[in-house]
Amino acid sequence: MRSYSETEAVDFVIVGTGAGGGTLAARLAEAGFSVIAMDAGPYWRPLEDFASDETHQEKLYWTDERIVDGEHPIKLGSNNSGKSVGGSTVHFAMVSLRFRPEHFKARTKLGYGADWPVDWREMWRYYAEVEDALKIAGPVRYPWGPHRGRYPYRAHPLNAAAEYLARGAEALGIDWTETPLATLSAPRGKAHPCVYRGFCVTGCSTNAKQSVLVTWLPRALAAGAEIRDLAMVGQIETKNGRVTGVQYHREGEWRFQPARNVIVAGYAIETPRLLLNSANGEFPNGLANSSGLVGKNLMVQLNQAVWGIVEDEVRSYKGPPSLAISEHWNYEDRGKDYFGGWSYMSQGPLPITWARTLSGGRGLWGQALIDEMARVNHSVGLKMVGEVLPDERNRVTLADECDQYGLRIPRVTFAFRDNEKAMIRHALDFMDQSLAATGATERWQESDDTCHLNGTARMGNDPATSVVNSDCRSWDIPNLWICDGSIFPTVGGVNPSLTIQAMACRTADRILLANHEAS
Amino acid sequence: MEDVPSRNLVASLVAAGAATLASSVLADSALEHYRGSFRNPAMVLPLAAAGLGIVVNAGRALGRDEGRSIGISSHVGSMGVGATGLGFHAYNILKRPTAGGMNGLFYAAPAGAPAALILSGLLGRTADTLRARPAEQRDAIGRPLAVICAVGLLGTVAEAGLLHFRGAYHNPFMWLPIVLPPMAATALARDAASGSAHPMTQMLLGATVALGLVGVGFHIYGVARNMGGWRNWRQNILAGPPVPAPPAFTGLALAGLGALLLLRQRKEHHG
Repeated sequence: MRSYSETEAVDFVIVGTGAGGGTLAARLAEAGFSVIAMDAGPYWRPLEDFASDETHQEKLYWTDERIVDGEHPIKLGSNNSGKSVGGSTVHFAMVSLRFRPEHFKARTKLGYGADWPVDWREMWRYYAEVEDALKIAGPVRYPWGPHRGRYPYRAHPLNAAAEYLARGAEALGIDWTETPLATLSAPRGKAHPCVYRGFCVTGCSTNAKQSVLVTWLPRALAAGAEIRDLAMVGQIETKNGRVTGVQYHREGEWRFQPARNVIVAGYAIETPRLLLNSANGEFPNGLANSSGLVGKNLMVQLNQAVWGIVEDEVRSYKGPPSLAISEHWNYEDRGKDYFGGWSYMSQGPLPITWARTLSGGRGLWGQALIDEMARVNHSVGLKMVGEVLPDERNRVTLADECDQYGLRIPRVTFAFRDNEKAMIRHALDFMDQSLAATGATERWQESDDTCHLNGTARMGNDPATSVVNSDCRSWDIPNLWICDGSIFPTVGGVNPSLTIQAMACRTADRILLANHEAS
Repeated sequence: MEDVPSRNLVASLVAAGAATLASSVLADSALEHYRGSFRNPAMVLPLAAAGLGIVVNAGRALGRDEGRSIGISSHVGSMGVGATGLGFHAYNILKRPTAGGMNGLFYAAPAGAPAALILSGLLGRTADTLRARPAEQRDAIGRPLAVICAVGLLGTVAEAGLLHFRGAYHNPFMWLPIVLPPMAATALARDAASGSAHPMTQMLLGATVALGLVGVGFHIYGVARNMGGWRNWRQNILAGPPVPAPPAFTGLALAGLGALLLLRQRKEHHG
């Protein structure tokens, strides 16, 4: 790996190496820029460093001190964080979905939320680029939305849990399909196809999972980028209205890396936290915050589930956890008393996760918990990924307490509003019908889970109502960019990683174009 | 090439084709049905039928004869087990939910595989007929035999095409069995229609014979590309591409060469 000195400014310092930052590191380095991508977490080598052990693998999560409050405090730490090079894609569920085209214009076309300042057809091209970069294994025909090209790899075989989703959907007369997944169904280079080990969401130890760690970052390194791991960026410095570099903590001391441009890609809590913590004399309310929207409009996604017991042995933990999906309620607007869409997928919880679900979600303890755990092979469930509407009251602010680096920690305030509650009711009822149609009994509802983080530095066409423009460039500081889930004006009913990567590819092209025009 | 080839050579070629097909079926169904834990007792039948088919047809190919009745029971048995297998495999595919119809075709019991056993039985029966008939009545078998081989080749291409599509043609060599055997099958069918044997057909069939053997090598390499490679052979021989499958092309192309010789003899006899 090439390494840059701290005495000379590089073209780009990227803060964060996940879906946004890692993708940009590859694309910008390949375009000839000098790039340092920093991550607070370590640079793992999955073949040596990852164990088939849920507890051990918690090392992948961001579990630094934070305060959560509001009417529905968010559980942070696993499915909404990552402190590793590669970000949360190192342990994501690999679900790689495109937004419904209308969801990019939710305000204009569907009457809620906000519009994205980009055209879906343009995003469609970038989706295709990312799907090819990740060799997504998807269905031969996708049942919803406009035509999309053939997925680069074929879908994986369905496990029994996925078959239950399929039979339920068929009984209810709606479409379902194999979930497009970022794990290999055939060899690719030195990577083996997926061995269906099932520990995907605690980190893939075989490198079949096409995370940022094994796709974009090797490309970034080959193109001369430096990945500086264990580097916690605490402040972005500015001078005369432009950023000049970053203060970062590494090996026990604060250091300064000068840069001609800075891209923040720390996900929807750390990104606004860094921008707010970087407040200085020039920008007393934090960087890029003339709109006052940095930290506001935090959107999680609804992650409620219905579980039941079936006679057959399901062993739902075999293979990737979400092999089948229905996006029916992303594309069908009739029959709803709420705005927005949701999808639902088959599930494959690992043992500790399942014990937590049964104890926390269902209130089982002691012998009752042990008895229910013994029936795990017959448990089957469906889980939603549902749209949360942007609301300025859901936000990330700075608490007065400081963390191990001496940086003010984030306070994350969140509440479901009526729209989310109505969507949850509908989704739980529908998923219950689906499970019932497959003969599942003893059904129960897990009603308070959430996943993903988006929307605390939204993009838009108006500097007064957005933090960055359609190029993910700060309205206030021309050499500061934000590119991760934070820039989402709305979240749709699909997992966000593919959209973040597509937006990163687009941002790279916009940077190239701007650079070309300037020179 | 002017000499009329010996009749025994034709019968031997066709019997060798039947034996090769049966060998492919025995090894392949042994692996795949072991993978399926022989859940249904009927899953041993193709092993038995193919095993008997190897003994009978290999013996015939080498000029031995275990007797007429054992031959008939072997050939008819193969065809019967193959036809039954097609039904079982279709049921296995259709009982699954199949979005867009593809997941079952990719991952359930392979739709076309039992047909190889039917073809092996048909070829074995044809070899026996060739041996039993008086010389002047043998040439007439050339045309139907050519058609059987051409159709069999195209069916095998369809199966390889589907499963290589499942593998996303990640290696360009995966296109070989999709490109070459259809050319051989088309040439053979054209020769059957015109009643004359072209040298190009012989070349294409010869290349298809070789392709089936080279395919084994490719599939051995394919197994190595799974996690743990051949060190983890007990898992990967089941997870990787089926090592015994490609010689089905070899078997059908061998019998096709036999058909080509008959077509040539017919031309010489009837002008």
